[in-house]
Amino acid sequence: MFCGYKPDILWSPHHADRYVICDTELSLYRIGPAGSSESKAGALAISEETAATLLAINSDTPYMKCVAWYPKHEPECLLAVGQANGRVVLTSLGQSHNSKCKELVGKEFVPKHARQCNTLAWNPVDSNWLAAGLDKHRADFSVLIWDISSKFSPEAVPTEKLRLSGDTDSGLVVTKPLYELGQNDACLSLCWLPRDHQKLLLAGMHRNLAIFDLRNTSQKTFVNTKAIQGVTVDPHFQDRVASFFEGQVAIWDLRKFEKPVFTLTEQPKPLIKVAWCPTRMGLLATLTRDSNIIRLYDMQHTPMPFGDEGEPTIIERGVQPCSESIISSLAWHPSAQNRMVVVSPNRVMNDFTVFERISLAWSSTTSLMWACGRHLYECAEDAGPGAAAVEKDIATKMRERAQSRYGHDTVQVWRNHMLAGGDDPQLRSICLTGSCFHKYTENMEQKQQVNKQSLIYSGIKNIAKTSSGTTETRRCWSGSDRQTDVPRYHSEERSLALQLCGWISQGPDIDVEPFLKTLEQEGEWERAAAVALFNLDIRRAIQILNKGASSEKGDLNLNVVAMALSGYTDEKNSLWREMCSSLRLQLKKPYLCIMFAFLTSEPGTYDGVLYEGRVAVRDRVAFACMFLNDAQLPRYVDKLTNEMKEAGNLEGILLTGLTKDGVDLMESYVDRTGDVQTASFCMLKGSSGEVLKDPRVQCWIENYRNLLDAWRFWHKRAEFDIHRSKLDPSSKPLAQVFVSCNFCGKSISYSCSAMPHQGRGFSQYGVSGSPTKSKVTSCPGCRKPLPRCALCLMNMGTPVSSCPGMERCYEKADLTRDKKLAQFNNWFTWCHNCRHGGHAGHMLSWFRDHSECPVSACTCKCMQLDTTGNLVPSDSV
Amino acid sequence: MDLHILDHRLRVTSISKTGLEHYTHPLIKLIFLRNRTRCKFFSLTETPENYTVVLDEEGFKELQPSEHLLVEGSIWLPLNVVSNGNASSSSQAVGVTKIAKSVIAPLAEQHVSVFMLSTYQTDFILVREKDLSVVVETLEEEFNIFREEGGESVPVQSQDTWKGLQRNGREVMQVTVHPVLIPENQFCVMSLDPDTLPAIATTLIDVLFYSNSPGEGASVNQDLECIKFFSFTLIDGYVSLVMDTEAQRQFPADLLFTSSSGELWRMVRIGGQPLGFDECGIVAQISQPLADSDISAYYISTFSFDHALVPEEDIVSVTEMLQAQRKDVPH
Repeated sequence: MFCGYKPDILWSPHHADRYVICDTELSLYRIGPAGSSESKAGALAISEETAATLLAINSDTPYMKCVAWYPKHEPECLLAVGQANGRVVLTSLGQSHNSKCKELVGKEFVPKHARQCNTLAWNPVDSNWLAAGLDKHRADFSVLIWDISSKFSPEAVPTEKLRLSGDTDSGLVVTKPLYELGQNDACLSLCWLPRDHQKLLLAGMHRNLAIFDLRNTSQKTFVNTKAIQGVTVDPHFQDRVASFFEGQVAIWDLRKFEKPVFTLTEQPKPLIKVAWCPTRMGLLATLTRDSNIIRLYDMQHTPMPFGDEGEPTIIERGVQPCSESIISSLAWHPSAQNRMVVVSPNRVMNDFTVFERISLAWSSTTSLMWACGRHLYECAEDAGPGAAAVEKDIATKMRERAQSRYGHDTVQVWRNHMLAGGDDPQLRSICLTGSCFHKYTENMEQKQQVNKQSLIYSGIKNIAKTSSGTTETRRCWSGSDRQTDVPRYHSEERSLALQLCGWISQGPDIDVEPFLKTLEQEGEWERAAAVALFNLDIRRAIQILNKGASSEKGDLNLNVVAMALSGYTDEKNSLWREMCSSLRLQLKKPYLCIMFAFLTSEPGTYDGVLYEGRVAVRDRVAFACMFLNDAQLPRYVDKLTNEMKEAGNLEGILLTGLTKDGVDLMESYVDRTGDVQTASFCMLKGSSGEVLKDPRVQCWIENYRNLLDAWRFWHKRAEFDIHRSKLDPSSKPLAQVFVSCNFCGKSISYSCSAMPHQGRGFSQYGVSGSPTKSKVTSCPGCRKPLPRCALCLMNMGTPVSSCPGMERCYEKADLTRDKKLAQFNNWFTWCHNCRHGGHAGHMLSWFRDHSECPVSACTCKCMQLDTTGNLVPSDSV
Repeated sequence: MDLHILDHRLRVTSISKTGLEHYTHPLIKLIFLRNRTRCKFFSLTETPENYTVVLDEEGFKELQPSEHLLVEGSIWLPLNVVSNGNASSSSQAVGVTKIAKSVIAPLAEQHVSVFMLSTYQTDFILVREKDLSVVVETLEEEFNIFREEGGESVPVQSQDTWKGLQRNGREVMQVTVHPVLIPENQFCVMSLDPDTLPAIATTLIDVLFYSNSPGEGASVNQDLECIKFFSFTLIDGYVSLVMDTEAQRQFPADLLFTSSSGELWRMVRIGGQPLGFDECGIVAQISQPLADSDISAYYISTFSFDHALVPEEDIVSVTEMLQAQRKDVPH
């Protein structure tokens, strides 16, 4: 297989550290770690870590054409050398002459007609058998199988006629082969088939590959092809064979031997070596002449047998083991993974390991896996201690939230925040907003104020714009007779906005006291105090702070703040004012900070309050609605809205509502967080069709549904779809599958849909309605009976009977869930392959224990054909 | 059995003995410098009359036309019989004998002129390109016929228009029995690793081009007891040599391959007058009786005469057989 002068490499089949380089002579090398004590002065460094030591040289066999290493352990290091004149000589390297080897070394196998020996192969099982592939001779066979244990040559050949034999010790010359194959043809390459050691694959000159069975040599399977060089069997896939011709490699499946399953991209130069990697599935290395690049073809994911359809998935890449020198041959290491030694024409060797491709996969449950060689690495979110500091991935969060039914509480919308874990201020805000919107809408619906309903969902920004008829009042500090010159504005829209902010409850009452009570209960002392103060009730504010300080886990500093607050004076130049306005900035609590900002600022200029980013948007907006005039308010709201939109802050939904602005805001939120779940649920509530039709919204919804599918949360997905179809009727899918009658071809869905409504109990089983009623077991169109269930043999449409003992259970525990299941059990189901089927419930229970179709004599493995049939949803109903 | 129509388009030429010096350059290039030419089929046979050169069109370009070069006008296509791996169990005979009944005789009946070229590796049957359809039609019953094109074997079906009984168009010619000459020298058929061709270059050049120089063999050649016959072929990278034992002695022994039994062959030269290329049935005349007696043979056609090589031990029976044949057919 190699030209006599270009070196080739052979690894020892049993010593992972030894190989032979053959060119004009055979040289045995041992490979070892570089620089170790073992390595002697003569060691050649062949990589950064390894060095090769020359152990022995054998130059007894001139005109070498091919070499094959004896495959068995004993005798080790026995080599068969095929010569240019067709003789095969057994030789050995670096052996102390032990008895077994001695007998064999020097033995020659001589063909009747001399011609070049192209290839040699030891039988992997009957290791006495050595197949030699020779060039063509008009009167001789091209494949000779020798038995190396043959003791003598049966036909005594006259010594004088052995013209070409170097030594005439005829005891060592064998001239009678065990088998002769392939007349009138040359054999360019051959290999034994590992699946059946009596079979031999030959590649002949006449452009064919042939498989011979030694038990019956007159029979053979063969195929015409150009690719007749270097046949080699995939060690991991014994039906897969590679062969090549010039620049092209053909891959064969011996079970479908008519044509190559595929050919690899043609190389511009002729190939000289093609070798399967023995340590890695489906990896083929090819080398072309005068090249320093080894091309690797990864067929790991190529299905075998490969069908006619589609392109095979082969990953091709090139590796360059040594930068300058061209490579004359390569040999994979027999056991070390992906390792090979390459040799250049001037015998420079290089130990080289092909770096494995890294393949990476995300699971839908946020774990990341990657594989490199035989190693599989998993990167999962660490749930151990210290992990709390690291924020969980949004996919994990969404999955957990989906599992806790986040978004599904449509009655008490704010509770969804608790379902989501209750630790995300953004979600808390959006849920509160949603809740407010929802509550008000409900009320509006009751009052049939439809126009206002749309106003609600259009957000405070639009409400503020429409504000008209504002009245201005100046109020005293309540509980104090001191006059203030703080103007406060009122209008219908402003109080609506305040309601939406949650400061005042619905109705004409504008008292904030209930809100303050709620805040007190939740322990939000500072916020409550601030709200009280903004309602000009400084006494209440002080009272709240006191309460806060004295409460459990209360902050005693609140008392200090209360004291400071009580010293309030409206004197413009007082020390109090001066100190407050400078020291307030050092306060850590934002609500305390804005309280003093409010007290120390001039009327109409409340920037210290309005632009305190740490304060909830709803409070700032409520504040603005109270204290900004009609000119300032829309400007402020606009500014804040844009800020929120840019930041993707969900608090801003209060301002934007579920309008196009809201979608913009949500877009930047999704861009920032990837939380399509919240986006989907939130936008579904936007009743205006325009918002729902927005492609972004549709995209979020579809992505969320896909996510649910990927997590196998099919029940959640179904719930979501139901929820969605309620809010967005246009999303309701049309019926896509109909069951049609075998006879009239009409849809029988009438009877299907009718069935559950008839409310048939299981007790009625067997008396399927009175004859006057339209039978559900027959087609409503033509009245012909529906097919029978393969299991209960009843016509379809008949309710399923469960086990008789179970009936009572059903009666007693009439759970809706069981009812639903029972309905599903009545469904029609059938295999698309064999077309047998029956009641879904029956089929499900049948395939729990069986793999084949219930119809006798049908061997269809219906359930296995259903790729999703064996998947189990990972959520519960 | 498969019949392959090989992907070579061949010319049959002859170089006169005196004109050889004009052609030494192209010939040496074609023999020794394989990388310099795209010639894939080259055969050079020296006979006492001339040098017959059979080569493909690529090689033919190298030969300059001159008065010393005779060219047969047709394109010849080589056919090759592949036994399809089924060992011919009945007969041990090989070469032209094996195909005598299946190929040679039917073609002779259809008046297709053939030009035989046996080598160490195989036997080529050269037919004229224009006869191809007759050949296909004649042989398709017996063989699966493939035409090799660009490395692929393409199955060939005869065109239906030829299905009729249209013959080759030539008139049936009287079968003439040609005189035969059986020289005394022994021949051997050998091969060689093409890589070692340079090692025997000087010997080969000496034998091929300087055989007429006065030497030990010159006087022997005169009396036709022995005839000068040397054939060198280089086809698809395979070398085949036919030479007499005398020439063989000049080559280093360890480089030439031959059979381990060291078999030797005797020659039967057919034709008293140059045979020309149109006469049919000449090969059949010889191969038929050899096939009947199951005797192996090589057969090498040249520009002037045909040469059959038969095993040394069979020459007596072959001689008798041929003499009997001459008696049977009245002149």
